[in-house]
Amino acid sequence: MKLIEALQIANAPQGGPLFRVLLACGFTPLHLQTAVKAHLRLSLPTRSIEVRTGIYGDLGGTLESAREPLDAVLVVLEWGDLDPRLSWRSPGKVSGEVISDARARLSRIEKAIAILADKTIVAISLPSLPMAPVLHAPSSELQSVEAALLEMLYRLAASTRAVALHPKTLRQGSEHDLRSELMNGFPYSFSYADALAAGLVRIVLPAEPKKGLITDLDETLWSGILGDDGLEGISWDVDHKTGFHGVYQQLLNVLADAGILLGVASKNDARLVDDALARPDLVVEPRHLFPIEAHWRPKPESVERILEAWNVGPDSVVFVDDNSLELAQMKAAFPAMECLEFHRDDAGFLLELRDRFGKREIRQEDTLRVASLRDGQAVREAADSASLDSLLAGAKATMTFRWGKQPPDPRALELINKTNQFNLNGVRYTQVEWNAYLSDPARHLLVVEYEDRFGKLGKIAVLAGREQGESFDLDVWVMSCRAFSRRIEHQCVKLLLSRWESLHLLFERTERNAPMMDFLADAAPGSREIRRAAFNRWCPQLFHKTESING
Amino acid sequence: MDNEQRLIRCFQAVFPELTETEVARASVSRLAAWDSVATVTLAASVEEEFGIQFEADEIEKMNSFPSFLKYVATRSGA
Repeated sequence: MKLIEALQIANAPQGGPLFRVLLACGFTPLHLQTAVKAHLRLSLPTRSIEVRTGIYGDLGGTLESAREPLDAVLVVLEWGDLDPRLSWRSPGKVSGEVISDARARLSRIEKAIAILADKTIVAISLPSLPMAPVLHAPSSELQSVEAALLEMLYRLAASTRAVALHPKTLRQGSEHDLRSELMNGFPYSFSYADALAAGLVRIVLPAEPKKGLITDLDETLWSGILGDDGLEGISWDVDHKTGFHGVYQQLLNVLADAGILLGVASKNDARLVDDALARPDLVVEPRHLFPIEAHWRPKPESVERILEAWNVGPDSVVFVDDNSLELAQMKAAFPAMECLEFHRDDAGFLLELRDRFGKREIRQEDTLRVASLRDGQAVREAADSASLDSLLAGAKATMTFRWGKQPPDPRALELINKTNQFNLNGVRYTQVEWNAYLSDPARHLLVVEYEDRFGKLGKIAVLAGREQGESFDLDVWVMSCRAFSRRIEHQCVKLLLSRWESLHLLFERTERNAPMMDFLADAAPGSREIRRAAFNRWCPQLFHKTESING
Repeated sequence: MDNEQRLIRCFQAVFPELTETEVARASVSRLAAWDSVATVTLAASVEEEFGIQFEADEIEKMNSFPSFLKYVATRSGA
């Protein structure tokens, strides 16, 4: 983005609820403020963006004085924040005490960040400019003082509650605009400020990670054509100079451990594929691959079945194949699906592939996902052969209802912000908005856990709303698609109606919440209200053992 | 697009509320929004648009649309 484009985007008329951001830096924010606002506006077109800045030369003070509710805080560290003597505007004689001074300043910044991080998301970037020439060693050598300062910065990055921007993503060689720094106090070239703003905004408003990867086998998961080369003719190891496929398989393990779904779509002989996936030297763990569609029918049919088994949309999935014709066919069948050509011996391909699924943290539910999908398939298959009632009666299901808003459960907000299908209204919340929502004493929060003989699903539903006498205004209700077909939603309503006489549902139709709409069409036909007596007359038999825990 | 139109585009990016006619008459003394930050922003966007670089003392003299236009014409040889 050029400066003039950023100005046009940032200064265009805006409307919608306010999104407040603090841009905390020790230098004049100038074009970085413009770039941050432009990137936020591109990411949040329905919001009004306000980017506040702080006190020149006092990053710690800026962070400490942030009192009002903020939707995000962006902290941009430069050498001058550790000690003004390290900056180009006021370079000074540096001696040993610069390290203790810098430690004190960084400690103050870290404490202020910790307080802010309790309430909102904080992103931080480490110094990216060259230090002013205040040390005597040549720049080709890492002097001990600079090394000690770098150690301090990386310790901060490791311990801070802020999310740190990886310095490698910004390295471009043209960061510094010394003329601008000396004239105006703004130290960056605009191209660098633009990249920095984009990186910080990506931390605050990350793209929704993809949920699943469907991979081809021949010349993708392994080198060689299984049908032609035979079981021993395919390889993925360094000895055969095909180690890149082994690295790809290891990446699939990493993704699976983070809860990413892995499916296989391959035109192949199913029995041969079974044998190949049973080879003891296989790097990817076969249990991670589900479903495996290996046959000679068109691949779009395979992908259709995989999406059905996963219960996710094509826009949440990446398809990887070495054959450009197959990729084109898949793109034609599923325009929303990202279809990537497998690039052998290209490190960038694997790193960019990983980034499409990037997760900041892994929760227990992530590790349960594939197992619960396999179990879900078992439930559906069982339901085909027996009545749903008898199946559920024998499922030995336990539902645990956790009432309460403290301590905050990050899984609740995560579920609300990523669930599309069984979602009452599609409303998403930032951390600050969610905190504000819960701060109303009349509001109640319910997190639901589920387990049955087919497996543990973990925390799979969130309900929240406001008590209004005998009624409950339900404005948050999401349930993971892994939990469908178990009458969990019925049990949730039953539980709420054991406390309140009626539920008032703040339902809004979205592009993807048809499952919620279908449920409400049966549970609350023609209205937005469910009353206890009417629900009890309609509700099918429920078999769950339930437990309520008050927080 | 001639120099004047390109310069108007730079001014309207910084002062989006101004019409083309108002931009042509814009100056530090007539425009309350034209403060020191606006001057620096204008100078940076003009530098980017025309591929030129102001000296520090030159920026201080850029106090109206005509002064920018004259400077750009001199530097770009138009």
